[in-house]
Amino acid sequence: MNPVEFFGVAIDALRTNRLRSALTMLGVIIGVAAVILLVSLGQGTKNYVEEQFAGLGANILIVTPGKIETRGGPPVIGATRHKLTLDDARILEKKGYLFGGVAPVVFGTAEVRSGSRSRNVSTLGVTPEFSPVRNIHVEVGNFVTDSDVDAKRRVCILGRTVKRELFGNANALGQVVKISGARFRVMGIMERKGVSLGFDIDDIVFIPVRTAMDIFDTDALFEILISVRNKNDIDSGKELARSLLFKNHNRHEDFTITNQAAMLSSLFTILDTLTYVLGGIAAISLLVGGIGIMNIMLVTVKERTNEIGIRKAVGARNRDILLQFLLESTTLSAAGGVCGALAGTLGAGAIRLLVPKIPVEVPPWAVVLAFTFSVFVGIFFGVYPARKAAALHPIEALRYE
Amino acid sequence: MGSAAASEPLLLLRGVGKVYEGEQPIVGLEAVDLDIFPGDFLAVMGPSGSGKSTLMNILGCLDVPTSGTYEIKGVPVTTLSPEALAAMRNREIGFIFQVFHLLPRYTALRNVELPLLYAGVGREERARRALEALRSVGIEDRKNHLSNQLSGGQKQKVAIARALVNRPSLLLADEPTGNLDSKSGEELMAILAQLNAGGATIVLVTHDLAIARNARRIVHIIDGRLVTPEEYRERRG
Ligand SMILES: Nc1ncnc2c1ncn2[C@@H]1O[C@H](COP(=O)(O)OP(=O)(O)O)[C@@H](O)[C@H]1O
Ligand SMILES: [Mg+2]
Repeated sequence: MNPVEFFGVAIDALRTNRLRSALTMLGVIIGVAAVILLVSLGQGTKNYVEEQFAGLGANILIVTPGKIETRGGPPVIGATRHKLTLDDARILEKKGYLFGGVAPVVFGTAEVRSGSRSRNVSTLGVTPEFSPVRNIHVEVGNFVTDSDVDAKRRVCILGRTVKRELFGNANALGQVVKISGARFRVMGIMERKGVSLGFDIDDIVFIPVRTAMDIFDTDALFEILISVRNKNDIDSGKELARSLLFKNHNRHEDFTITNQAAMLSSLFTILDTLTYVLGGIAAISLLVGGIGIMNIMLVTVKERTNEIGIRKAVGARNRDILLQFLLESTTLSAAGGVCGALAGTLGAGAIRLLVPKIPVEVPPWAVVLAFTFSVFVGIFFGVYPARKAAALHPIEALRYE
Repeated sequence: MGSAAASEPLLLLRGVGKVYEGEQPIVGLEAVDLDIFPGDFLAVMGPSGSGKSTLMNILGCLDVPTSGTYEIKGVPVTTLSPEALAAMRNREIGFIFQVFHLLPRYTALRNVELPLLYAGVGREERARRALEALRSVGIEDRKNHLSNQLSGGQKQKVAIARALVNRPSLLLADEPTGNLDSKSGEELMAILAQLNAGGATIVLVTHDLAIARNARRIVHIIDGRLVTPEEYRERRG
């Protein structure tokens, strides 16, 4: 008896108990759909985060003041002993042969006012290097220049959001705004960058770094960004920066250098793990569906004991019976798998349509995996009932009413 | 006893016994010696519980004896694996039961096809041969009826067609008329007699002498042992 014939027998048997077959399949359908939905949610989240970080530059080292003992986390503010200064940045730039650019940053929040409109915004004191290092550029006008920095000029570049809030559609270039009460001339407008991790990159004002130090009355840097020219030199670049700063800080390692790529990759690892965990939890419901299949197959074998006896009496071998019932459970789970894959994919599409804020992304591998898993569930949970059926003694099976 | 003793026996039983194990072991069959030759039509007679079905199940390779030897065409069945037993049932034996044992949700045709399915016969060939078997027992007009829509007599004809379809060496009928009215019973016996006339070897179990008279020879069984007609008459009173 060839497998195609067995398949026909299985379909026939399942059709005679439509409702029961459908209900049993439902367990698998829910399981498979849940796996696909949850994995899509995990994957969507990862893609979302990835998107947010895109363009941030993977080959960037971030130097922050303060030393932390555990690796990879954010620096502890209280641990700061020495500040980072423009001198540090100068040393890094001068001796950092592996670096493409070094961008010292001063950070503060300031009230920016234009006429009657005002807004509290994050204000970054930067050098011209900031633009290539962070890969954000002006759309119109100019970014901060070296002479702006050296002359401590009161010029500013507005982020898109700030520009819109203060000037609406009117031209801002060349206009004067007040930052913390001081008059600044608008030299440029940044290109749109959007929201990154809940932080509106467009809601920023850039001013020359020395000007910022005056305004915020500090000589301490918030951070120094370093872009490493060659991606492969990230680690040696980090070491170079460490030794340069170590020497400049009188042999104190009172700073922290984080490798953004490493940080991101560990974040993505976490998100991947999250995806797998979600998928795994959903897979448990698929297992429960499998137990439902086993349950119904045991009932089926019991009910059809006489049929098994008849088949054996006319020459069915044990393995024919085994295969027949195994194919029945597998057909059940595979059909459930197909419906579940459909339901999961459509469900993900529906979520995307109805609640666009929830990031869902159906990875094809999840569909294939969930379906394959469902087939294996049918085989796995079908083996025991099928073996039971195959092991029946022909006479006892025939006599069973 | 035998009339066709010249040829090799189709079935050969020597000292065949069957003990049903349990809390209290039950002797179903004891020291049965029996030769059945090609073309035989043997009736096995005996009271209820005497071991007729036990004997038939062993003959039909549905069960194995607990003692003695049993050969089909010289093959010692007692040593065969379950696989080989299944093949034996499929190729050499056609079984007809008192309670028909058809698959209720299958049509007559599909029921008859069943042995061919396990013999690995292809779809078209299967349908052709099944139809032919149905025709030979005169019930091809019911081929597309579900078996549970048939009368008892019709069911048993389908069962005979199923027993015949793989051209077995041996037809076994365990009280085939037991669930039939007398007219259907007679009709059925006529079919068996006709098959035997065509060369089929048949073993028939019955406790009805009128039915047994259709056979060429009769053996008697009491308490699991074959007995002479004289002893049988004596003990049956
Ligand atoms: N599976 C079984 N387990 C235990 N005892 C059985 C079994 N099958 C038959 N017997 C016993 O074996 C004896 C012969 O039974 P059986 O061959 O069915 O008789 P018959 O067919 O002549 O009525 C009876 O005593 C019966 O109770
Ligand atoms: Mg009986």
